[in-house]
Amino acid sequence: MTNFFTKKTGCHNEDKLFYIFHALPPTDEGNEMKNSSEALSWLSRFPKFEDTWLGLSYAPQMPKHMVKETRQVIAIARKFNDEVAKPLALKLDRLTHEDTDYLPWELVEEANRWGFYTMWIPKMFGGQGYNMPSMSCFSEEVASACAGIMNVIGVHYLAVAGLIASGNARLSKRILREVVAGEKSGKPCVLALATTEPGAGTDVEESDLVDKGHVTCQARRVENGYIINGAKVFISMGHVSSWTVLYAYEDTKHPSETTIGFVVKTGTKGFSFGSHENKMGQRVCPASVLIFEDCFIPDNQVLFSAGLVKKITKKPVRDIAQRYIDYVVSATRPGVCAFGIGVARGALETALHYASSTEINGRLLINQEWVQCILAEMHKNVILGRLAYTEANNANSHRGLYRLLQIKPFYYYLKAMPRFWFDKVIAPALDWELTSRIMGKLYFDLPKPEDQRCCSGWASVAKFAGTDLGVINCQMAIEIMGQKGLRQDAGVEKMLRDIKLLQIYEGTNQLNRLNAFKCLIAPEVPHAKVFDE
Amino acid sequence: MFSNDPNDLKPFADLARSFAVKELAGKVARHDCYPFGNFYIDILDKAYHLGFLGGTLPTVLGGINGGMAALCEILLHICEVDASPGGIIFTQTLAQEILLAAGTGDLTQSIFTKAASAKELLVAFPAYTDPAQTDSLPLAQRTGNDYTITGRLELLVLGSLAQQAIIPARHGSGPDYSFFLISLDDQKLGKSEPVFTLGLHACPAVDVTLAGIQARLIGEENTGHRYFEKVSSEMNCAAIAMNAGILRGAFNDAFNYSQKREQGGRPIIRWSEIGMMLASMSVKADVATMCVHQSCLELEQKGSGYASRILAAALHTSELTCHATTDGIQVLGGYGYMKEYGQEKRYRDARMVQALLGAVPYKKLDIIQKAVGANSYDL
Repeated sequence: MTNFFTKKTGCHNEDKLFYIFHALPPTDEGNEMKNSSEALSWLSRFPKFEDTWLGLSYAPQMPKHMVKETRQVIAIARKFNDEVAKPLALKLDRLTHEDTDYLPWELVEEANRWGFYTMWIPKMFGGQGYNMPSMSCFSEEVASACAGIMNVIGVHYLAVAGLIASGNARLSKRILREVVAGEKSGKPCVLALATTEPGAGTDVEESDLVDKGHVTCQARRVENGYIINGAKVFISMGHVSSWTVLYAYEDTKHPSETTIGFVVKTGTKGFSFGSHENKMGQRVCPASVLIFEDCFIPDNQVLFSAGLVKKITKKPVRDIAQRYIDYVVSATRPGVCAFGIGVARGALETALHYASSTEINGRLLINQEWVQCILAEMHKNVILGRLAYTEANNANSHRGLYRLLQIKPFYYYLKAMPRFWFDKVIAPALDWELTSRIMGKLYFDLPKPEDQRCCSGWASVAKFAGTDLGVINCQMAIEIMGQKGLRQDAGVEKMLRDIKLLQIYEGTNQLNRLNAFKCLIAPEVPHAKVFDE
Repeated sequence: MFSNDPNDLKPFADLARSFAVKELAGKVARHDCYPFGNFYIDILDKAYHLGFLGGTLPTVLGGINGGMAALCEILLHICEVDASPGGIIFTQTLAQEILLAAGTGDLTQSIFTKAASAKELLVAFPAYTDPAQTDSLPLAQRTGNDYTITGRLELLVLGSLAQQAIIPARHGSGPDYSFFLISLDDQKLGKSEPVFTLGLHACPAVDVTLAGIQARLIGEENTGHRYFEKVSSEMNCAAIAMNAGILRGAFNDAFNYSQKREQGGRPIIRWSEIGMMLASMSVKADVATMCVHQSCLELEQKGSGYASRILAAALHTSELTCHATTDGIQVLGGYGYMKEYGQEKRYRDARMVQALLGAVPYKKLDIIQKAVGANSYDL
């Protein structure tokens, strides 16, 4: 069988493939390993131990305080749900249908009052510094009440990830300190991130595709800055954001080599908003068209560029650009999984309430076996999705973007130090070019490619698993509830509308499947090629 | 009445296609804004004048006597563009079929032969429920030969448009129920604004409260479930046709888009994963179309177990449609999620069509209950 397989594929690495596709051979020595290198050789076979049991590897290294903090975050989210999200979810959804120009200013102010826009900004940038994985738990909770409201809060952190993962400490500090100031003053400073273009969605998330794609948002070098021309579409929270993290290309024919990131303030000359999209769901969170017409952005607002990369590493700009994208999506895709699982849980809770309070032919639905089995199936989907995002976060904590912040001594140091220490001592150091170089080195030069692949692959798996499970749960809920489920005032139809978007944004689930294959499976099959049909 | 012969059905298909292209295409998103936008009563009147609202009614009652096969052709082609008018035609036909099944010839004639417009012809009906599976039906009280009805009924489809409705009501605490004709202009009837539902926005429904409203019994007392079962096979064929239309529309839009939209420098149809999704949608669309024709044939021949097979086809096609419309959005990516592109509406409408004549699990359980010969009320 091995010969057949290898002959058919023409693979030169027969031994490796044998062990990928076949059970481990028995040993004469029973369970005893001759030495540690033998054990390592077994563990490094597909699926590799360290790529698979991430939670097991990370658990001993996790600061215990993270559990306490996560409990606190979940409690806050539940309080917010009862006091704000649940009472508003259906009202706001209806309002957005009555008034298609509606923008969620009041909701943004409310989220700002609750401190949600600084909660996961690291303390060194002035934020509250809650641990990043706890945001997924928060997302699940709030999305169980309303995915749209969660997006009004959560998409801000897509831009925060875009800032921090750039390694540009000075600019990250400048913008994030404005967010913190916005919280104190009661005038929210919310961030958006703009990558998708009218002719390029999936393309802009993969260096392998973007050079063949049709990107048009161009950054032309001029004295002291750049002139931007082009448009971005489907930009969540664009209209209500104060700053946008924007990606453009110096050469639209060779975008992977010339990706350039900026921060652009709303109101900058040449930067305007078009319409906001008429979406099926998550309507409370606007998706905006951003238009750049000869928009000048000064050099001090360049977040990421080939020039900055060359100061940090000799690696090709294209590779670093992809690494940057991977950092961002590795952090945000588990969050999208948590959104999806939140909606899946909302559907379960709605169906459970219906089944507990509805009689058919004199018998409560909840006491009928078929209903119990469907509810158990829905609950299983929630649990599986939660495990997926937890494991993807473990990957980031153990081998990715969160690693540094969650090394025990550093974690407890950040927790213990008083606010003035960050404001007076750490903050000025973030302006040093040396700090950005160190951050850049830590993010782009030192990490191993296999670590990045592991984080990116797990993030993709979580993303498409959680959002697909969310759609399945909403469908099951609407089928159980019959005509009751069709009504907007019953809640579940909105969930069915909301959940669909999650299969599309942060890379379609098809792109995420390909990325999971590329990161987690293809490295074991040397002749496998991705994005190369 | 017309047979399943494609030559017989072609004029209906051509007429419906032409109507859909001229009156619906390009305006679907605008029509879907209802109840937050205007209702397309002018287009409904055109559908009425073309005979779509009386597709199965005998000519003596003002219909076109096309039979269910002809109605299915009409529904398929209309729903390919917009399922909302299909929902109106479905509900109207359901109400008509209940009247015909109950043998109320005079009553039926008095309703349908006098109508001069769509609104006068329409009869509202709670199309998203099997009354036998609803515990909270209104209660009917008999005084001599007169009936009064009290209670509440949710999602009375066409209730905001029609002047009359057929509603189910129980006489006591037992499972049996009867159908009644009521006037929607009665002062003892409270009517909500059109209910904001998942889909089929331009096929509106209202909630009604009945405070001792005068009602006219349809057929015999406590035989509502028999009339409902009698018309269920016909109406399941209609639901299959609606599904097939939605599916075909979803596939066509996805197929066309995938040839124009490029990713990685080539049309997305050239990416084999998208090709696989489109192939899967195409298979579903073809299977659904075959289900329409086969179900109409089963209905015509009425062989042993035909009702169960038609119900199975209805359940199967609704499942196919829910899956395919989800993929239909996915192929278009972000654009598929936007109201201007039509796919998101099909995703919503598919779940509405799936719920016609009652919730999916009860329909499935009913198949097994009937197979073992038990009383379906024991579910």
